Amino acid sequence: METRSLVKALWRSRTGPILIAVQIAIALAVLVNIAYIVAGRIETYRRPTGIDVHNIFWVTSQGFATDYDQSLAVRTDLAYLNGLPGVIAAAASATLPQGIGGIGLPFASTPEDLRAPKAGGAVLLMTDRGLDALGVKLIAGRAPHADDTSAPADMMSAIGRWAPEVAITSLLAHKLFPRGDALGRTLYAGLINRPAKIVGIVERMQTQPVSGPFSDFAESVVFVPGVPAGPSALYIVRTQPGRRAEVMAEVERSLADKVPGRYIEHMETLDQTASNTRNWLRSSSIILGAVALLVLAVTAIGIFGLAAFNVATRTRQIGTRRAVGARRHQILKYFLLENWLITTAGVVVGCILALALGARLSVMFQLPRLPLYYLAVGVVALWLLGLGATLMPARKASSVAPAIATRTV
Amino acid sequence: MFLHDLKLALRSLLRTPGLTALTAGAIACGIGATMVTLTLYHARAGHPIWWKEDQLFAVTLDTRGPEQRGPQGPHPEYPPFLVTYRDAKALYRSAIPTRSVMMFRSTRVVEPQRVGLKPFSATVRVTTADFFPMFDVPFLYGAGWARAADEGPDPVVVLGRHLNDKLFGGADSVGKLIDLSGHEFRVVGVIDNWMPQPKFYDLNTGSFDVPEDLYMPFGWTTAMKLDVAGNVNCVTPTARVSSFNDLLTQDCVWLQYWVEMPTVAQQQRFQAFVDNYVRDQKQYGRFIRPLNNRIVNVTTWLAMNNVIGDESRLQVGLAGLFLAVCILNTLGLMLAKFLSGAPVIGLRRALGASRRDIVRQHLTEVVVIGVLGGFGGIALSWLGLAAIRLLTYIPALDDNPGHLAIAQALSHMDVTMLAVAVLISVLTGIVAGLYPAWRIGRMEPALFLKSQ
Repeated sequence: METRSLVKALWRSRTGPILIAVQIAIALAVLVNIAYIVAGRIETYRRPTGIDVHNIFWVTSQGFATDYDQSLAVRTDLAYLNGLPGVIAAAASATLPQGIGGIGLPFASTPEDLRAPKAGGAVLLMTDRGLDALGVKLIAGRAPHADDTSAPADMMSAIGRWAPEVAITSLLAHKLFPRGDALGRTLYAGLINRPAKIVGIVERMQTQPVSGPFSDFAESVVFVPGVPAGPSALYIVRTQPGRRAEVMAEVERSLADKVPGRYIEHMETLDQTASNTRNWLRSSSIILGAVALLVLAVTAIGIFGLAAFNVATRTRQIGTRRAVGARRHQILKYFLLENWLITTAGVVVGCILALALGARLSVMFQLPRLPLYYLAVGVVALWLLGLGATLMPARKASSVAPAIATRTV
Repeated sequence: MFLHDLKLALRSLLRTPGLTALTAGAIACGIGATMVTLTLYHARAGHPIWWKEDQLFAVTLDTRGPEQRGPQGPHPEYPPFLVTYRDAKALYRSAIPTRSVMMFRSTRVVEPQRVGLKPFSATVRVTTADFFPMFDVPFLYGAGWARAADEGPDPVVVLGRHLNDKLFGGADSVGKLIDLSGHEFRVVGVIDNWMPQPKFYDLNTGSFDVPEDLYMPFGWTTAMKLDVAGNVNCVTPTARVSSFNDLLTQDCVWLQYWVEMPTVAQQQRFQAFVDNYVRDQKQYGRFIRPLNNRIVNVTTWLAMNNVIGDESRLQVGLAGLFLAVCILNTLGLMLAKFLSGAPVIGLRRALGASRRDIVRQHLTEVVVIGVLGGFGGIALSWLGLAAIRLLTYIPALDDNPGHLAIAQALSHMDVTMLAVAVLISVLTGIVAGLYPAWRIGRMEPALFLKSQ
């Protein structure tokens, strides 16, 4: 009935509607894929680190004198830092959690598995109070302890020395010991080919905000107790809530003089570091989000423009229809339906386009396939956008007086 | 005639100011977004040593063990981008290339003699002598060192300009001594402003980074047991590393290896040499994968390292799609506008205006919109790039002004991009205007007159 004549009328002046439908198709493809990518980045951005970042700062020192003694420096500095009022715990670390770079090793639950290890993970080489200094939550066992408090000659020897006991995150524990009996078992580390007893399980810890196939790696952490190699030292200091600034000021004043032959290089809060490492997630999401919004805005303008044009050129016909008995809501319905048909044609093509673009992007960014519910939400969003953009011109059409039909335009 | 067309176009555009603003605004947004992303792309797509495109080659060997550990990258067929110490030493013995460089990045503490300056850590490129002539490094004072100094190793260094400014106030420091982590080194050269972007010769600590603060002969690697400030990747499951010396003997990759070979004959001979070396090593249980030694020029090297980045590609692609939407939009709106003005056109046709006149007049109108949109777009892209600078700004940990220069260069719209912007806006106008103008010109004048 009405729909058929409507389609016929649409087909007679098809250029405008086709243009709009193509715009809608592209808009859907762009919108859905941007939404999917940005959602993944927001997830990575917000993913809990397991670390008490808001109460932690770090400070690095560099030994330069020939008689600089790393073992002595670390011992002295940690005694000072741990003795400061307001400090919960301080520890020296070989790498900066939430910073850039780190140490990774393959791990296995038996020495045989080391030939083709199933799990890789990050190594966090820290002095004894490392877990406390990070504020990670121990859910079973205890913190690992190292008897050897001398500093190794270099970074490689520090890892090579390993430790008789370690703590691991529950994710790694679950991967290596699916039956949940990791505590007390032996962990085998590839590359250095050393075993260690698992004495503690940490609920969660993420070394770096990474996504996709690498996020497992960053959350499979092995806490190895030990002294990092010199001549640089990195201290991670966790303070009581609200006292970080005060402790930092104190450390800035007096840490340098505690040990001769070195200088303090850099001090920063850990949330600043975590924010810097996440900066690209934030900025890229904003850029992509802006493109998506612009696409939507321009598409809406296009739909509005076409509808307004149609209403303007058909004023006389509308008047005639009104004069022969059409009600206002029928006119309104006519224009909304017309637009809905165009939008629908657009989203049908758009779905194919979105899937094609999604397939390309999932290869490019190593993402899982675009989930279909994103498409469904996108289709509904564009329907609403189309109706919203047509509403004003359609209402204008419905308010055309029947008397118009008798006048020349 | 053109002026007449322009006058008509402006009059028509001013008659419908809202529509003009909408279409020009849409075009401006489309061009703005496209220019922002193209500028970011263009800045990353540079070839910093194009004049040696067919002479410089990065050398990669497939040292990997049988199974890939951990998650696979998008190109598992590529060999590791770095080479092991023992392979580098073995390749370095070949006299086939005109120049050969093995190198890596490290750090040392500089203890300045200048009063008031505290010790600070500096990045060091530990390299063989050919580095300077191979990469056409310009010298402000002095020169590099001879190959013999690598063997010594001689206590000589070349300073980057920034470090020379910091230590010696920019004066000629050749012959002066500096203290690096407790060892005295003699300055033999100071590099002039030199900042190849991308930093093609070593991409593993970031594609866009400042060159190292100073350079020292390769022999110091073992003499000082220099730490690697970059990736160390032990690529076989049988590698065993528990001390510095293991880094020299095990299958761990951490060195960059480059050769300069001006002739094709050299290139073929060197490829054969490398392949033979790898075949020979197979008898010791190394290189268990099929031959996969890639000796690649700078362009291929930059592509393999994905220097431009998928993010940049994605942004350009999406902005292009957005521009397409804007063009379709303008096309639709202009078509609607022209058709609504059809009766006047009919009248003009009836009065003797030719079809070509009508097409030209309408095309002019759309090109004017395209140019207006283009100007708007360039302004918007400036704003957009400024916003991106703010969004992506991370303060550098050291005082090298090069970091800021790179950040600016990566979001800088140069003359080329400005020309591209103008070209895109005119093309946009033409593409968006061609169909509506043609359509309106094709109509029979009688049709319009009759319908009235």
